[in-house]
Amino acid sequence: MLEIRDLNSHYGKLHVLRDINLQIGNESVGLFGPNGSGKTTLINAVMGLWKPTSGSINFNEEDITNIDTYNIARKGIALVPQERELFPGMNVQENLESGAAYIPHAKDELESSLENVYSIFPILKERSKQLAVTLSGGQQRMLAVGRALMAKPKLLILDEPSLGLQPSLVSELFEKLAEMKETVSILVTEQNVRESLKAVDRGYVLENGSVALEDSAEGLSTNPHVIKSYLGL
Amino acid sequence: MKTSKNLQLTIVGIAAAIGILLILWKPSVLIYGLQGAGLYAAVALPMALILGIVGIINLAHGEFMMLGAYLAYWFSTQFGIDPLLAMIPVLISMGIVGVITYKTTIHRVLGAPELNQLILTFGIAMVLSQVVNLIATSQPRKLSLDYVTASAKVGELSFGTYDFIFVAAAVLFLAGLLFFLRRTKLGKAAVAVGQNPKGARLVGINVDRTYLIIFSIALGLLGIIGTLFLTSHSIFPLVGGSYTMKSFCLVAMAGIGQLKPILWGSLALGVSESFIMSFQGYGGWADIVFFAIIVIVIISRAYKRTES
Ligand SMILES: Nc1ncnc2c1ncn2[C@@H]1O[C@H](COP(=O)(O)OP(=O)(O)OP(=O)(O)O)[C@@H](O)[C@H]1O
Ligand SMILES: [Mg+2]
Repeated sequence: MLEIRDLNSHYGKLHVLRDINLQIGNESVGLFGPNGSGKTTLINAVMGLWKPTSGSINFNEEDITNIDTYNIARKGIALVPQERELFPGMNVQENLESGAAYIPHAKDELESSLENVYSIFPILKERSKQLAVTLSGGQQRMLAVGRALMAKPKLLILDEPSLGLQPSLVSELFEKLAEMKETVSILVTEQNVRESLKAVDRGYVLENGSVALEDSAEGLSTNPHVIKSYLGL
Repeated sequence: MKTSKNLQLTIVGIAAAIGILLILWKPSVLIYGLQGAGLYAAVALPMALILGIVGIINLAHGEFMMLGAYLAYWFSTQFGIDPLLAMIPVLISMGIVGVITYKTTIHRVLGAPELNQLILTFGIAMVLSQVVNLIATSQPRKLSLDYVTASAKVGELSFGTYDFIFVAAAVLFLAGLLFFLRRTKLGKAAVAVGQNPKGARLVGINVDRTYLIIFSIALGLLGIIGTLFLTSHSIFPLVGGSYTMKSFCLVAMAGIGQLKPILWGSLALGVSESFIMSFQGYGGWADIVFFAIIVIVIISRAYKRTES
C-alpha cells in the first residue's frame, strides 16, 4: 500500500532522514524512536507537507512524492497530526463534517461515518455543538482522530495520538485502533511503546534519522535494545 | 454573559435614543448618514471576506475599487452604455484582474511573514493609482446621469434618494456572503482555510485555489461597488486611498471573521459623519471623528478581552 524508498530529507543543512526504506501493507505498523529522531518529518514527507530531498514515496503503486497535500488526502491517506490542526472556530460536528466533505469517496457517506465516529467517541456526540477551541486537550485529540476517520482513509497515520490523553483513554484508544485494523492500514508513532506494541503487527525503530530496527511486534517486545531503551525494564 | 447582554441592550437603547432625537432634530442627518453608511459597508465587506475570513491583507483595496470605477467609466463612454449595464463587464474584468494579481503576486507572499503582504499590496496600490494617473490623467471624471438626481419629499424635507442604492448593495453583499460562507462548499472551505490552512490541506481542501477564488470574488465585488461609486461620485486616481483605510478600520472594529458588525459599525460612522457635516464649516472634522470612534472601539474591545 505504502512504499518508501531511499528517502532523504533535510532542514537546511540538517540531514534529518537518511535512506529510509519502509513498507506498509494491509496491516498496522508502529514507528518508534526518541524525540527528534525524525518521525514527524517522515510523516510530513508522506503527507506532502515537507518535500524530501531524494527518494520516492509510492501509494497504491502511484508515485506521490511530489503531490500536493490535499490531493494525497483525497487519494486516501488521513493524518492525525501531532498538533491536531483542528478548526478552532467550528463546532465538533462541523470539524467532523469537514473531514469527509472534500474527499470524493467519503462525502456521500458522511452521515454513516458521523454515526460511526460518534459510536467510537460518545463524548464527541455529547459535545457536538461545542466549539473545538473549548474542548480539553484529550477531547481535541479524539476529535482529530474522528475527523481523520471521516475521510474513510485507506491508510490512517497517527502522530503521537496518546499525547495528552489520560492512561485509561490511551489503552482505550489503542483497543479502538486494534479493532480498526481490519478495515484500514495504520501507521502510528508513539512514545508509549508498550501500549502501542499491543495494537500493531510490526514496527520500525528510527534513530538519528535512520531505520535502526525493523521487526514484528513480538520480535520488538523481546529485543534487548528495545526493552532497554523504550520499555524501560 | 449576563452583563454583556445588558451592555448590548444599553448600546441598542442609546443608539435608538440617538436615532429618535435625530429624526426630530435633524432628519436629513439620518438619511444621508444611512446612505454614507451603505457605501462604507459595501466597500468594507469584500475586505472582511479576504482579511477577516481567509486572512489576506490587501492595502490596495480602495485602489481596486478605483480601478473598477475607471473600467466602468471606460466601458460606458467607449460603448455608450449606461454604467449600471457596464457593471457586468466590469465585474468580469475585475475577476480576471483578481486572478492575475493573485497568481503573479499575492500567491508568492502568503507563506511569508505578514509584513511582506503589507508591503507588496502597498506597492500594488501605488502602481494602480500611478498607472491610472498616466493613462487617464488626474483630472476628475464624472458622469451626469439623470436618474442619480432622483429625490423624495417627506413633509418639509426633501432629499436625494439615489444613494440608497449603496444601502441596498451593502445588504445584498452581506446576505450573499453569509449564504456563501454558511451554505456552499467553497464558502465553508474558505472558512476552514481561514481558521487553519494546514488543517484545511489535511482534509483535502485545495488551499491555493480557495485563496485565488476568494480574492477574485472580492475584486469582483469591488468592481460592482466601483461602478456604483462612479454613478454618483466624481473619480480620480487617488480616490480609493481613504476607502482602504476606512475598510481596514471597519474590519478591525467588527472583529476577525465577523461580517454583520460591519453594518453596525458603518452605520455609526456614517451617521456621526453626516451629523458633523451638517454644521457649516465643521465638515473637516468628519474624518477625525471617524478615526477617533474606531480607536475608542478597538481599545475598549482590547480592554474587555483583558478583563475576561
Ligand atoms: N521546521 C523545522 N526546521 C528545522 N529543523 C526541524 C524542523 N522540524 C524538525 N526539525 C528538526 O528535525 C529533527 C527531527 O524532528 P522531528 O519532529 O521529525 O522528530 P520526531 O521524531 O517527530 O520528535 P518528537 O518525538 O519530539 O515528536 C529534529 O532534530 C528537529 O530539531
Ligand atoms: Mg514528532
